[in-house]
Amino acid sequence: MRIRWLTAGLAGLLLIAPPAPAGRAQAPGAPAVAAPEDTTALAAAAPADSAAPAVTELLRGLDELYESTGTRARVEIRIVKPGRTRTLRMETWSRGEDEALVVIEAPPRDAGTATLKVGRNLWNYLPKIARSIRVPPSMMMGSWMGTDLTNDDLVRSSSYEEDYASELVGRSSDPPGWLVALAARPGVAGLWERVEVVFGDDGLPLVSRYYDRRGRLSRTMRFTDVRELGGRRVPATIVVIPEREEGRRTELRYLDVTFDLDLDDDLFSLARLERRR
Amino acid sequence: MAGSTLRIAWRNLWRNRKRTAFALAAIGVGQLAFLLVAALMQGYSKQFLDSITGPLLGHAQVHAPAWRDERAVDQALGDLPGKLAALRADEQVRRAAPRVLAPVLAARDVEGFMAMVVGIDPAAEIGTGGLLADAGSAGGPPGDTGGAAGLGGRRVLVGRGLAEKEGLAAGDTLALVGQDAEGSIANDLFVVTGILPTLVELVDRLGVVMLLADAQELLRLPDAAHEIVLHVADTERLDETVSRLAALPALAGAEVLSWRQLQPHLEQMLSFLDAYLFIILAVVLIAAAAGIANTMLMSTFERRRELGMLLSLGCAPGRLSRLVALEAVLLGQLGVLLGTAVALAVILPLASAGLDYAALGGGESYSASYQGISFTSVVYPRLAWRDVLLGAAAVLGTSLLSALWPMLHVTRLEPVAALRT
Repeated sequence: MRIRWLTAGLAGLLLIAPPAPAGRAQAPGAPAVAAPEDTTALAAAAPADSAAPAVTELLRGLDELYESTGTRARVEIRIVKPGRTRTLRMETWSRGEDEALVVIEAPPRDAGTATLKVGRNLWNYLPKIARSIRVPPSMMMGSWMGTDLTNDDLVRSSSYEEDYASELVGRSSDPPGWLVALAARPGVAGLWERVEVVFGDDGLPLVSRYYDRRGRLSRTMRFTDVRELGGRRVPATIVVIPEREEGRRTELRYLDVTFDLDLDDDLFSLARLERRR
Repeated sequence: MAGSTLRIAWRNLWRNRKRTAFALAAIGVGQLAFLLVAALMQGYSKQFLDSITGPLLGHAQVHAPAWRDERAVDQALGDLPGKLAALRADEQVRRAAPRVLAPVLAARDVEGFMAMVVGIDPAAEIGTGGLLADAGSAGGPPGDTGGAAGLGGRRVLVGRGLAEKEGLAAGDTLALVGQDAEGSIANDLFVVTGILPTLVELVDRLGVVMLLADAQELLRLPDAAHEIVLHVADTERLDETVSRLAALPALAGAEVLSWRQLQPHLEQMLSFLDAYLFIILAVVLIAAAAGIANTMLMSTFERRRELGMLLSLGCAPGRLSRLVALEAVLLGQLGVLLGTAVALAVILPLASAGLDYAALGGGESYSASYQGISFTSVVYPRLAWRDVLLGAAAVLGTSLLSALWPMLHVTRLEPVAALRT
């Protein structure tokens, strides 16, 4: 089970995607995650009419939220900073978790600027100077195309999934839903020590919270605006709030999504990147 | 009478030549050690200060208030010409160098690498303490707008370290991609016209040095810069100068900070050097005190009979104790004189030639850098008259102090008893 945020077009592209909530712990045949004592605690906490869902199902649902063999999406990103709001609109294509292409449509000054991701490699294409440049590993933590997103956010994809163990904690009251806790496995050097995801009764994510190595809440993501997009019911808006940076947030909104497209191999190539315009 | 006391004291000093010579040697070596260490420290600390306050940090800097925390490209100082004019009008300001700094993704071909745009005003960067100081003739004449330095018209110089690492040479075209002040993607092509040798580590390793105007255009910062690096005429009056500049109406809303405020831990390192010097001085003083006290005690005890006779002949006890004190002072200062002479002979040639302490240890000489500040293994010792006088005064104080006991001994001497023993 993997989270293929990239297949979701931008959701994966923009860090915004939660780091893959623990995958391999729930490999087929693995024991159920919730320990027996948790289940009893749950039974006490949960309303009688709603049985506790299986973590594996919730996470699979999250994994496959935007996933398809070929996805095309148009996305609007609003980057809010104190005193300035910047809006970007882009078109994205993705196939599997390793291939993605993002082309900026607006604002006009940045239009045509593209990013190609193949595996762990990222290339930026700048139409003004007609150049493609591969982003070096040393700059993965740097800004992606001058936004508040890092390059790493674009390629991170599912590398977190091996790094977290998950368990169903129980009912959550704010917001009402099922709380799943993901804990970094010992010895794994990652950004987050602990991740909490609250799922609604419909199995869709509502909010996720990211705690750093010191246990401080550092990022909150809200999934809102559940709609039909490309034939699926998914949250169309994701808001990312960095907790310790006053007045900053990034909003990601899906304008339209098409799933299960048959995309050209050629789409995800440098040559094609440079032929665009 | 004073003259005769001096003569007698001098003569007495040389009655036991060997003992006096040893005492002199002890004091002399003490003064020599103190001066050598002090000169090295002075040289080192001067070099350290020059290096700290060199091209990168300056004696003081002007920034937009949030710049130091975030270094975001839009946190720039606007109305640059007005600010520069106001700063340059101050009599203490020797250099006001505006800089634009922005991290960028750079590439000669498809492989990108990290670089730092350094937008400069070449006329403000030539001479010691400027970013182009090590560029030699490439710096161009004063007032030059950059043409001679190979800057302007999207022509850039790259740091030597960067050039070596990425295999850049004059004539290469560099693509630079970053974020402009409006949040959009800044990108353009630049031609490398030369390699910039510099001791400033940041520029050496990452620098793509361009004309301020080119950087402003790339990053959409019209008439703006991120830093104005200042060098002042008199560093002793830096704090006063900094507060005067901060109060300039043209700089309202900007912060003006001295290097001490910008790098407090570096200042601590400098004060540590001073503390070290005082420890050495204390060691010297203890050696001097022991030498003088021992010599004076021995010589007064030895001369009990003689002193008793002088007293019985009617010599005032006061004069005798003055005699003893004078002997001690003569001994001490003679030692200081010898030590200073040797120190001068050792330090003066080194002050111009420099002392490579890596070579002393048998290693290769080196240049290193720490937090963008360069250090070399060659130090130029500087003998300060202040330190010579400090040593002399300290030994003088110690002489008198250690002569105290012999002096008391003399005044309490019973002439008859002294003569009998």
